[in-house]
Amino acid sequence: MLKSLVRIIKAGTATQKEILPDQSPESRGLPAVNRDAWENRDRERGYDWTKLCPTGAITVRQSDSKDELDLDLDLGRCIACGLCPDISPEGIIEKNLSTKTAVKNRRDLILSTGQPKEKTSQNPAPPQAKENIFQGSVAIRVVSTGCSACDLEVSAAFNPIFDMERFGIQLVASPRLADILMVTGPVGKGMQKALMRTYEAMPEPRLVIAVGSCAISGGMHGEKNYASTGGVDAILPVDAYVPGCPPHPWSIIHAVMTVMDHKQLSK
Amino acid sequence: MKITADQIKNIAKHDLRHELKQRLKNKDNRLGLVTSIDGEQVLTLVLDCADKTAELWQSDLEGASEYPAVSPVVPQAHWFERRLKDLFHIEPTGHPRLKSTFTENAFDGNLAPLALDQNKKAPGPRDFSYLKVEGKGVYELPVGPVHAGIIEPGHFRLSCQGEVIQNLELKLGYLHRGVEKRLTEIPWKLSRHLCEQAASDTAAANALANAIALEALLEIEISETARRARTIALEIERLAMHIADVGGMAVDLGIAAEASTLSRLRGQALRMAELLSGSRFLKGFICPGGINVNSDFAGERTRIALKSLHAELSPALYEVLHTFTDNTYVQERLENTGKIPHSLAEEFGLVGPAARASGIAYDTRTTFNQGLYKDILLEPALEKSGDALARTLVRVKEIETSITILEKLLEESLDEAASAVALPESLKANSFGVAIVEAFRGELIHLIATDSDGAIVRYVIKDPSLNNWTAMAIAVRNELIADFPVCNKSFSLSYSGHDL
Ligand code: SF4
Repeated sequence: MLKSLVRIIKAGTATQKEILPDQSPESRGLPAVNRDAWENRDRERGYDWTKLCPTGAITVRQSDSKDELDLDLDLGRCIACGLCPDISPEGIIEKNLSTKTAVKNRRDLILSTGQPKEKTSQNPAPPQAKENIFQGSVAIRVVSTGCSACDLEVSAAFNPIFDMERFGIQLVASPRLADILMVTGPVGKGMQKALMRTYEAMPEPRLVIAVGSCAISGGMHGEKNYASTGGVDAILPVDAYVPGCPPHPWSIIHAVMTVMDHKQLSK
Repeated sequence: MKITADQIKNIAKHDLRHELKQRLKNKDNRLGLVTSIDGEQVLTLVLDCADKTAELWQSDLEGASEYPAVSPVVPQAHWFERRLKDLFHIEPTGHPRLKSTFTENAFDGNLAPLALDQNKKAPGPRDFSYLKVEGKGVYELPVGPVHAGIIEPGHFRLSCQGEVIQNLELKLGYLHRGVEKRLTEIPWKLSRHLCEQAASDTAAANALANAIALEALLEIEISETARRARTIALEIERLAMHIADVGGMAVDLGIAAEASTLSRLRGQALRMAELLSGSRFLKGFICPGGINVNSDFAGERTRIALKSLHAELSPALYEVLHTFTDNTYVQERLENTGKIPHSLAEEFGLVGPAARASGIAYDTRTTFNQGLYKDILLEPALEKSGDALARTLVRVKEIETSITILEKLLEESLDEAASAVALPESLKANSFGVAIVEAFRGELIHLIATDSDGAIVRYVIKDPSLNNWTAMAIAVRNELIADFPVCNKSFSLSYSGHDL
């Protein structure tokens, strides 16, 4: 007992003070598209390197407006393998270490060299855009349908280092008490019923967050196969998406801030 | 290791059970796995721990879809045989309980995802029944599939009398995502990414098994430094997950101080993973041919950073682990809880910490991976009592050995580690690549079969949990309901690795 006390006092506060800091430089982070590098690229080189992406997240297509090519990178499919920042010529793809990666709209996960999209506003509103009623605190229920990496990172978001509870975010053991449903994994057919029942048991208004590339697009499991549906939004309306494989605990916190429309932290 | 078509031993399907029983009489032999390539045959992998070799047996089904089940004489085969029925429509006749490993109503009754003949009708409906316990005052307690905390889904049906558990029925399969099938559809060079997702808490071990099996089929050798870097990754994973498991035990026992310290220290182990690989889960690090790092990877800088983190972590870990295991409340609560006697552990072919806690000295790091661990790992961590305390103590010992192994491995330079061997374009045709890796939960096997073009026709992943789930169900019999979480946690089994 005494030993434990001494240890705890000695350890001091483990909780990170800085909110939503960047990931450390050793981390692979997520890829980002550098428009300038794309514009000035060496056109002779070809685009074979884009085909090396394990999930086919990078595509080159005819531009909508001008006689040009555009590059799209879908973070919703990216498993953060770290390959493209390394192999893309002339720094077209860069490493992005920001943990503020959650978005409300699926289309905002597609980074494009095309016309700068007016963020979100041009897109149709998210399916369940709700009044900002969860200002003070929210309760979360997690349903795992995947390989456990995302689950471990959601758990980590509640550990003493990230301490999600300090933002008024609580984990609850029953869907009846929950405001937010967090879903990880590609939602295999075996989990569909349990997931729907969890959702239906939640009081309204309720929000859904898709955590990780499997929950967003099926990830490495593919868009559809005999056993899986390729993402949560095939069966439930999703209010926020957090890319990554798995997303960093800070990004998971960012997702909750995003659906809560937190004044400073959702940006 | 590589097994070519002509090295395969043909065993008539009627003789399989006796051959296997005979073979397993020698304690150095183990059953690796039982499966099929496409539903036309039964494939049995038998391991020889003394010779460090594996043998592959093939039993042709002769156009039929049934064969005499092995389980009645070799009980540990029962789970493998249940999967044969689900994945291939193969009917092991005489199987004591051919329950489905899928979830009810998730799939069409005729679906046999890995069978060659996709029009084959199911011989009968899948069995989803629960064993009924009858008697005065017996009631059923359903738990899951969605659990109260943040863990993977699975359903437990407890039949209880008063506060005592009489029987536990497991229903898994909620996470069946078609991983093995998909592994035959994507290019082999990408398979490591999906293997990591078979069970991401075991990402490094799965990637390593994938790499070893593919390297056997590519007939290449990798550099000594790359091997060392991989071993470092595997040990960091073991360290992080064992800390998480002991910490989880502290949570379930209500010892908040140790629980919180352990979760903080697990963060440091993950930081080591990130320093080495750029990923907290070591994803994308191990690849066929060596390791995969970005071009700015600096071996020496990484090694020094890892060393200093290691030096900081180890004394803190020793202190908290010993405070935890010296606690008499912890000892009393876990002692005699969820006991698996040695004989049962043997009969059911347990692996990993659960086996070692029941006195079975099986650690594939010493039996099969000598090269990686020579001179470093001498003895498997052993306990005898087979209870939850023993399983916890085995993990604690293994945390300490991992710390020691890492210290040794970090002494030498990692500078050359990044230079991967160039890969041939195609895999050896008509062959099998086998990898046996000690994941933190125990023996993990990957088996890859290629056809005459060198394309992958079957990819088998045998997660250590597959061997151990039955033992967990047996261990809770006659225990209090209140001890169920502790028993379950002491086994620390994977749902995703089992369901695939
Ligand atoms: S980092 Fe993402 S987008 Fe880039 S190659 Fe890897 S998976 Fe594809």
